[in-house]
Amino acid sequence: MRLFPTLLILTVAPGLVLAAKVEMPAWSEASDAGSYHLGGGLWPGGLVPEAPEEETETELADAAKENAPAKFYGPQGAVDGETPETELAATSRGGAEGEVGAVEEVIEEEPVPEPLPALEGDLADLYFEHPPIEFLLDPQRLLTEQKSNDIKRFLEFHSDEAEFNIYVMVLGETQTIPKDVNLRELHHEWFSENPTVLMVYYREQPEMTELVVNDSVRTSLPKSVFERIRQNCLREGAATDDAPDQVEKMAIELSIQLYWLGRLLEHENKDERERVAETSLQDLPASADAPELLREYAPGIFLSESKATVSLLVVGVVALGTLVVVGLTGWMIFWWRDRNNLAGRPLIFPNFEIVSRLGGEFSGGTYIGMSFDIGEGSS
Amino acid sequence: MKCPKCARPVDHEAESCYSCGYSELEAATRHGANIVSLNRVHDAAYCLRKQERDDLNDTLDQLEMLFPQMLFCAYLGTLPEGLSLSELGFWLLNHGQVRGAEYARPNENAILVVMDMNSKQIGVSLGYFAETIIGEEDAYRALLFARPNLLNAEYGEAISLIFTRLGRTLKRKGKKLRKLTHEELKKQTSGNWGNVLDIPPHLAPKLPGMDESSRLKSA
Repeated sequence: MRLFPTLLILTVAPGLVLAAKVEMPAWSEASDAGSYHLGGGLWPGGLVPEAPEEETETELADAAKENAPAKFYGPQGAVDGETPETELAATSRGGAEGEVGAVEEVIEEEPVPEPLPALEGDLADLYFEHPPIEFLLDPQRLLTEQKSNDIKRFLEFHSDEAEFNIYVMVLGETQTIPKDVNLRELHHEWFSENPTVLMVYYREQPEMTELVVNDSVRTSLPKSVFERIRQNCLREGAATDDAPDQVEKMAIELSIQLYWLGRLLEHENKDERERVAETSLQDLPASADAPELLREYAPGIFLSESKATVSLLVVGVVALGTLVVVGLTGWMIFWWRDRNNLAGRPLIFPNFEIVSRLGGEFSGGTYIGMSFDIGEGSS
Repeated sequence: MKCPKCARPVDHEAESCYSCGYSELEAATRHGANIVSLNRVHDAAYCLRKQERDDLNDTLDQLEMLFPQMLFCAYLGTLPEGLSLSELGFWLLNHGQVRGAEYARPNENAILVVMDMNSKQIGVSLGYFAETIIGEEDAYRALLFARPNLLNAEYGEAISLIFTRLGRTLKRKGKKLRKLTHEELKKQTSGNWGNVLDIPPHLAPKLPGMDESSRLKSA
């Protein structure tokens, strides 16, 4: 009797079970489904088995490329009040290819920096309110920290060794000097006591670099000299695209040029100034040929070399002259003593006691002879 | 001093050569005992031109003015075989009489240049007084000084040069002699003969207690 109900249950129950449906939650919006990342972003996407569709990833990568920001040379670490400037996001293409857990490529994803603010207000005060304490003035931290330190050390070294100090002011490429700021007046106010060159550098725009020198120096030399120095600095800066490297190269070049400028100032005179004014600006190499460049302007700079050459020549001539004079004097003395001078006062010899010899009354036969026949000697 | 004939050394007081026995007597026997007259520049070989002779006489004039005691003369000849220049010089100085020579220029003060054109020999014979002033080395240097001119047959100039060089020697020696005191001068002129025979000292064994000078005397 019990067998029938049991068979009935076993026959009907699976059908009932298969016919039953589970109610699943539904997304409020269809677009949210694609933006969900399994794991909450704690793991790289490639490690997650259920990767988003290829089409969506490709679109994201293209969008990231199109929105790639400009190079950022600021500090790499997070600063208080700022968001991290770099963030690595990994996307996996291996998941789509079926290789779970393999990271093939890491796409650098940098945030788009905010456009640089205009130089006004507090920012302008950071630049122009007070004389700079350090030789590198970069309050916006537009250069990398390491490069900034390197440049500072170099400028400090230069200031210790050279006559001219170099101050580098780094501005953004879109920033401009406020209209109420006059760099020359500022330079005069800050650096009137010491010969100083203020180099205003615009990030990645070396051609916009401005050099401000002391009025006394600027008026003592032709304008072409400073233009040439600036051209050489710009040429060095144009050798690279990175702003820190540009600043570094331009600072080094400016240091070299200022060395020769210092020597030029030492030997400057009116004639040279006139000659330099007549000299046209030529496209000459930079530091490697800086001596040649300034040799054209101020041959007096190289007076030490020419002096050394001249002194050697003079020493040689003097030595040769001395030898000639000594030789001539010796020859004169020899000639004077050897001359057949028969003039003079009569010479009276004392009387000697004469003893005859060989019976001779006047001569004892003293004879000294010589043969003058060719091939024979004396007798 | 050497024998005019054999050129062996002779003592300054020797009456004849120890080697060959030559003396003035032999010379007089061979060449004559008479006095012959000579010109100051006696060119028996006729090898001097007038200009050369005049120039040479000018030189001799200057020398005689500078050295009033000295007699400068020259004899140029072609000597026969068997007569050497030394013998001729010896004989001429003892038997010759230079024309124009004053009494103050005796033959003992003579410097005679003799030259033989046959044998191409030239020499200087000195009187007693002249040999005390002019050494053999000085005379030989004077002859060497004129050798280029002699080779070029410039005899007049050569003899002039010889006399000039000898004049320089006379001048130098004369200045030195004038600075000497009387004692030094007497010592130099009387006892300065030294080893007249040019014989090296005998190498006698050195005895104990004998110094170098006494050893040389004993030798």
